[in-house]
Amino acid sequence: MPGLTSEERQRRARREGIASKAPRPRANKIALYAVLVVFAVIYIYPFLLDVGTAFKTDADATAHPLSPVPTHWVLHAFSELGQQDFARWLTNSVIVVVFVTGGRVLFDSMAGYALARLRFRGRGAVFSAIIAVMAVPGVVLLIPTFLILKQLNIYNTYPGMILPLLTDAAGVFIMRQFFLSVHPSIEEAARIDGAGIFRTYWSVVLPMARPALITLMILSFQGSWNNFSMILVAHQSPSLDTLTTGVGRLVSGQLGAGTQYPLQLAAAMAMTVPVAIVFFVFQKYILRTGEGAIKE
Amino acid sequence: MNRKATLTALTALAAGLVTLTTACSSSNGFSSGNSATPASTAKASKTQLTLMFGSSGTAETNAVEAAAKAFTKQSGIPVQVIPASNLTQQVAQGFAGGQPPDVFYLDPLTFQNYAKDGVLDPYPPNLPSANGFSPALQQAFTYKSTFTCDPKDASTLALYVNTADWTQAGLGAPPATWSQLQADAKKLTTGGRVGLVIDQTHSGMDEFFYQNGGTVTNAAGTQVQIDSPQNVRALTFLKSMLTQGAMKLPSQLNAGFSGQAFGENKAAMDIIGNWENGEIQSDYPNIKFKVYPLPAGPSGTHATLSFTNCWGVPKQSRNLAGAIEFVKFLTTPQQEMTFAKAFGVIPSLQSAQQQYVQAFPQYSTFVQELPYAHPDIAIAGATQALSAFDSALAQLPSANPATILKTAQQNLQAVVDQNK
Amino acid sequence: MNLILSQRRRETAAGWLMSAPVIVLLAVFLVAPILMAAWVSVSDWTGIGSPFASGVHSTGPANYRALLSTPGLPQQQLGESLRNNVYYVLLVVPVQTALALGLALVVSRRRLAGRGFFRTAYYFPSITSSVAVSILFLYVFGSTGVVNAVLGDLGLHGPNWFNDPNGVIHLVLSGLGVGHAPGALANHGFLGLSWWEWLAGPSVAMIAIMTLAVWTTSGTFMLIFLPAIYAIPADLDEAATMDGANSWQRFRSVTLPLLRPALFLVLTLGLISTWQVFDQIYLMSQGNPAGTTLTPAYLSYLTSFGNQQWGQGAAIAFILFAIIVVLTIAQRLVVSDRRGAQ
Repeated sequence: MPGLTSEERQRRARREGIASKAPRPRANKIALYAVLVVFAVIYIYPFLLDVGTAFKTDADATAHPLSPVPTHWVLHAFSELGQQDFARWLTNSVIVVVFVTGGRVLFDSMAGYALARLRFRGRGAVFSAIIAVMAVPGVVLLIPTFLILKQLNIYNTYPGMILPLLTDAAGVFIMRQFFLSVHPSIEEAARIDGAGIFRTYWSVVLPMARPALITLMILSFQGSWNNFSMILVAHQSPSLDTLTTGVGRLVSGQLGAGTQYPLQLAAAMAMTVPVAIVFFVFQKYILRTGEGAIKE
Repeated sequence: MNRKATLTALTALAAGLVTLTTACSSSNGFSSGNSATPASTAKASKTQLTLMFGSSGTAETNAVEAAAKAFTKQSGIPVQVIPASNLTQQVAQGFAGGQPPDVFYLDPLTFQNYAKDGVLDPYPPNLPSANGFSPALQQAFTYKSTFTCDPKDASTLALYVNTADWTQAGLGAPPATWSQLQADAKKLTTGGRVGLVIDQTHSGMDEFFYQNGGTVTNAAGTQVQIDSPQNVRALTFLKSMLTQGAMKLPSQLNAGFSGQAFGENKAAMDIIGNWENGEIQSDYPNIKFKVYPLPAGPSGTHATLSFTNCWGVPKQSRNLAGAIEFVKFLTTPQQEMTFAKAFGVIPSLQSAQQQYVQAFPQYSTFVQELPYAHPDIAIAGATQALSAFDSALAQLPSANPATILKTAQQNLQAVVDQNK
Repeated sequence: MNLILSQRRRETAAGWLMSAPVIVLLAVFLVAPILMAAWVSVSDWTGIGSPFASGVHSTGPANYRALLSTPGLPQQQLGESLRNNVYYVLLVVPVQTALALGLALVVSRRRLAGRGFFRTAYYFPSITSSVAVSILFLYVFGSTGVVNAVLGDLGLHGPNWFNDPNGVIHLVLSGLGVGHAPGALANHGFLGLSWWEWLAGPSVAMIAIMTLAVWTTSGTFMLIFLPAIYAIPADLDEAATMDGANSWQRFRSVTLPLLRPALFLVLTLGLISTWQVFDQIYLMSQGNPAGTTLTPAYLSYLTSFGNQQWGQGAAIAFILFAIIVVLTIAQRLVVSDRRGAQ
């Protein structure tokens, strides 16, 4: 019937038991996708520019900032990057990441299990302490970390860069949350079979924690690969520079020349590729959003 | 058995970390705090030395590395050369971390801080070069009558002119007064290029204060006098050139410092020091330029700024004798002339200065200016106040000169008062 | 009974043993350093040698006084850094929260083609390091960069972003004719800045850095909203539609209340992280131009590592710590009040 508003039409349709969803106008759908695409461009375009500009000459980069396609493809920036200590930075980043990730996974899962499953006096206090610690803003720890590293004589050494990053209250929290969700019957069964506490943890419960462990690993990887400020205060010798601090020096301070964009962007690209690879490989763990029934 | 497994795992990780520590300690290992050799009379060991410096460009970096290699060949002591991205900060971090570089560039301002803290080794009197330096340079590095650090070179600000642009604009003699400078800068400003660029820091602008009869502090250094009508007039003059578009600051030209803008021909003239010579030689070889003395102020006063650095050696160096050996090597007339040829600085040894004038008649300007060169500001503890001053000067195109100077006066006087 | 006791003893031993590494690490690298820094903040340590050496003396609250009550450069710089960070927080937190929520809502719609692609696209910037992103944005916001090129195509002349210290509010006010500080605002102030300067708003340079922050973090917060959105039962939504609610009403009455916990989490995380801006300042602007991108975190670093004023630097860090703690508690109170009132 003409003359009805769409609302009234909907109400009438519902009363008459017809499908409740009013037909969505095509314009809405187009608008929706337009918004999605515009934002996708905003989020992705800088990375395209990064890759493209890394192959440009300095002049080209300044003259054509909007185009991700170089006028002439040159490898100038990469050869300059090679002249920097890039290989060393990469090695140091890998060393830090391996030890921090390994350490965090090991220590956080042990502590998480202990706090979730083992009854001992003081457990509550330890847990409260960990929560309290999570509240300390990382940035406040820059000077303090420097002080303790100096005091312990590990300033400007690899342990000095690794150990502060091993302190990770959030990881303990995550693992504890996970272990709390494991049904106690599994451990009881193992106990009945004669397994001791650690055996139960190591051989029975921990393997079940794969998703949580992988999440923890990915977060640790990201956190340590990308860390800048903590590594900055933990060392001063250029031979200990990781990718972040090494490239960081290219950008700030005296060595950050005015318009050497291709060099800087090539460095940025090189830093991002490993993280991107890890991200894409382990995407489903990271983007785990519990869609459940919703199909992609 | 379970506990053993835990313990094993933990021990393994701990062992790994310990191994890593010892394996990777090499020259970056544990802080050596107390183990510095007692006196400069100890024999130089073969422990690697670190040399940290702030480079003016590729030419300087190459020259310093070459000198280090030559020294290593001669003495057998390895040297690690570290161009700093922020020299003062990195040296400070070194001291705080107990591992300062064994030899480092030290400017007169930072020198005051370190000398006051008593961390520098007063080696100069023991070297053969002891009495060979320019008196003014020696003075800059003398603290409470102890000559504490060998000056490495000197530089003065002069006017660099791009000869191609100059001829193109049909100009004749270089500017000798402020008004001529302004007029020439205007003539040289074309579509893609500005007439004049200067550095947007006090080290790039203070010479105009002196040229106009102003000053920064009184002779005794107890009273800051940076807020004066003469200085306000000087800054106003600079601002007028900025407003006219005849002059621009490096940040307005997308350059990190004025020498870069000049080298890229974004500016036809540049007021900068002789270190720029090496920069142009290595990075901008196509620029043809001439160097002239700075124009005089309205009352005919000639003035420029002089800069110098010294070779700082910390008392706690792990190879103190070796570090002093290195400085001895670096402060010979031959080595100073090598540096001069490489990146254009004036030698600090008077004997070498004479060689310099003979070798580079075209750079005689710099030596010529030495008599009326004023040292750059060097008040102990003034780092933060000066960087705030620089921040404010960088905004000169849109800021009020009187306000800038008033704030600088307050901040610097507070520092001077603290030092009393 | 004996079995239970020995089991208990073993659990206690295992519990402590397994938590030991974490406890030790936290004690050594968190608790001890903070105590050391607290000592340094009331001492005259010059940075050379150990802070516990015999030559280091306590100066009481001198450093705090210099920062908070004595007029001078330290107080002024603290004031500047606080002002800058306040505007940063006030603008970044709402924008990144709204953007994250908006993107999450859009990405979670049923029957969306390319959902995975869009989700990945929006999240990708969050996984990169602050160094890489800072480099990107130095290029994007450079005076001859992407943003200015786009503005140029639109006929506008973009500012020299990282060298423009003008506060945005001042710019707007001068556009409305208020070019200079009214007497009252100019003559009185707080922490070394006049009220007029407090009102400056974020500088143009800071806007570039704030854009970077929103761009980088909105993806992470989108991921926090997504599970919460999916958890909203579809029937509630349909019931609301049947009652005649339009999209906006449905959002306000059904979606938003159910998202409250996620919203609270995002706001808290946002609040805590925006007060800690450091990396980007170090890499991109070092506090320039004219101190308008100084933040307390960077100022603390600069004061200690740059100017060797370790006592003052540590004091700034603790002042920042106090601010964050107070704000977090305040936010918690405000939110639970609202919840209670409901």
